[in-house]
Amino acid sequence: MLDKIIIDGLSFALPLFVMAIGGIYSERSGITNLALEGLQGAGAFVGALVATFLMMALPSESQIPYYAAMFTAMIGGMLYAMLHAVLCVNFKANQVISGVVINILAMALTVFLTKVVNRIAFGAASDKFLLNVSSRWTIPGLSSIPIVGAVFKDIYPFEVIIVLVAIIAWYVLYRTRYGMHVRACGDNPQAVDAAGIDVAKIRFSAVMISGALSGLAGMCFAYSISAKYASTIYVGYGYLSIAALIFGSWKILPTLGACLLFGFAKSAGHQIVQVLEMPSSYSDLVMVFPYVLTLLLLIFFSKHNAAPKALGEIYDKGKR
Amino acid sequence: MKQKNNSIAKFFVKMLGNEKYQFITIPVFSIIVSLLVGAIVILLLGKNPVEAYGNLLQGSGLLMKEKYAGGKGMLTDFLSFVDYWTPMIFAALAVAVALKAGLFNIGVSGQMLAAGFIASVTVGYSTLAAPIAKPLVIIICFVVGSLVGGLIGFLKHKFNINEVVSSIMLNYIVQYVTAFFIYTKYVDPVSRQSKNIADAARLTLKNVEIGALKGDIPLGIILAVIVAFIIKYVFDKTTFGYEIKAIGFNTNASKYAGINVGKNMVIAMMISGGLAGLAGATYYLGYFCSMQPKVLAATGYDAIAVSLLGNSNPMGILASSFLINIINKGSTYMSSKAGLDAEIASVITGLILLFSACGAYIQYLVKKNKDKIEENKKAKGEA
Repeated sequence: MLDKIIIDGLSFALPLFVMAIGGIYSERSGITNLALEGLQGAGAFVGALVATFLMMALPSESQIPYYAAMFTAMIGGMLYAMLHAVLCVNFKANQVISGVVINILAMALTVFLTKVVNRIAFGAASDKFLLNVSSRWTIPGLSSIPIVGAVFKDIYPFEVIIVLVAIIAWYVLYRTRYGMHVRACGDNPQAVDAAGIDVAKIRFSAVMISGALSGLAGMCFAYSISAKYASTIYVGYGYLSIAALIFGSWKILPTLGACLLFGFAKSAGHQIVQVLEMPSSYSDLVMVFPYVLTLLLLIFFSKHNAAPKALGEIYDKGKR
Repeated sequence: MKQKNNSIAKFFVKMLGNEKYQFITIPVFSIIVSLLVGAIVILLLGKNPVEAYGNLLQGSGLLMKEKYAGGKGMLTDFLSFVDYWTPMIFAALAVAVALKAGLFNIGVSGQMLAAGFIASVTVGYSTLAAPIAKPLVIIICFVVGSLVGGLIGFLKHKFNINEVVSSIMLNYIVQYVTAFFIYTKYVDPVSRQSKNIADAARLTLKNVEIGALKGDIPLGIILAVIVAFIIKYVFDKTTFGYEIKAIGFNTNASKYAGINVGKNMVIAMMISGGLAGLAGATYYLGYFCSMQPKVLAATGYDAIAVSLLGNSNPMGILASSFLINIINKGSTYMSSKAGLDAEIASVITGLILLFSACGAYIQYLVKKNKDKIEENKKAKGEA
């Protein structure tokens, strides 16, 4: 049972984490990003579309569609994020409004396009793309360690990808010149500008990174939760990851902690319902657990939270 | 080419340049552009856009259909349209009130469901007589909604919790908790929804005979229009409305001016939540008479679009909600008649939203071009 909690918890927490990292990039650069929800859905749509076409062309045991889906979902999320970037950076729109608009549009467009593509390309009246069931890896040796070994058991391949991406993202944000510029843009864009760096460019690229990471996360959810792409992908994981990053004070490592907490709270809840053999309706009540926990934790921690100073502010050269 | 560009710019400046009317010209411009984009998509799908848009109007009871079933007519469709329009007005007003205070109430759907649920289980399943039940439904929904809204405001004020995050968390909590109770206590075994409420508690009078026709009379619409005017009055003429707006413009400045920011913020969210509660009343105990577990009403999210489109002005909201409601309500008929996916309607709504979010930029572009044209004129005059 403990194994199951750890395995399921990780497979939920890691996509959430990578999406939250995307959010951190965008918000540390000063662009409020409520669009994560829409970005992950749009990215996953592109990934699932590519995977569906590849699955028809390749033998069924091929792993290429899986990795191609991950990669194209990142591209798709990145391209769609440019819409948010254009609105927020170039058009100077209200960032909160833009984020919500992007979400609503993403949901409408992908649901509509899924139907249209299914009808035109496959001649089927379907509102989803079926994906292959993801393979899972177990690392021999390490996985037989008691308790901790569960971390190495039944891993989705995407979990490895996410860990690699997360390490790179951490390095770039905290150890490179570009990362420093991103962080500076969110705190004092005037100073960045004075140093001769284009604030708009940095912010634009940060939003694109958040799109790519969200797209990856969306694709992971599509594979891990139901092995299909459908409108059920919009269940609010984007918002949950925003809560995680606020909770993690816009820093990558504390955010990881928050995501793990959500993941384990969710999987533990499910296990409790199953072990105690409660009727299935109780699982609805247990589903509330991560959200109540978030609210309670926010109550205790929000006061000390330091959001990036220029978060949500439209950059105005004339202001000081 | 330069010449052509110039004349296009001139045309737009002429159409949109008058600052006095920009509050209406720019939204109308966004709508027209979105409808054009939608028309292109419909054309690409090989369908006739004029016909499709006509179907939207027909489905909303604003245009005659070719034939009607017995006892039904344009009036039946229109009454049903108004019935669906009512919760949209309340929900959009809820978003607007919060926006005025600089808060973003994305939890309208959750507040709607919470209010609808409590009113259903207390009054909806009781045997109270209509004259008591109906007002009671309205009061309970307003109170429940304002409590949820107030909680969000309180968390923001007291604990500095971003209202977007807390309202989304509350949305989930409401959604799952109500689903739990519906499944365990109030479920209708056939429809898998909550049991239908008593007609006495319902804010829509069903199947009333009007001449030869039958239609549903939505009582809530009267309240919705009155509330819209009250809110306009409060924001235009009262100190309280002014203080709320001041907070929305600049929190710090209002604080220095001696406005109690925290109190006003909580009150604004309470009103916003209360209005969302009324939307829930007219939605779950009006247009519908039961609740689908684990589903939040799309109305709560569309309301954001409506409110933005209407410049969060109550009169603007009456107009914009009317328009968005045509698209929503008419889409079912359009999809059955023209064979288009009903989802195209939400795509068009999304596009309208997208263009209205660019409103400030369009305004800026127009101003820039206007200045340029005027400069050119001056230069010509001098030469």
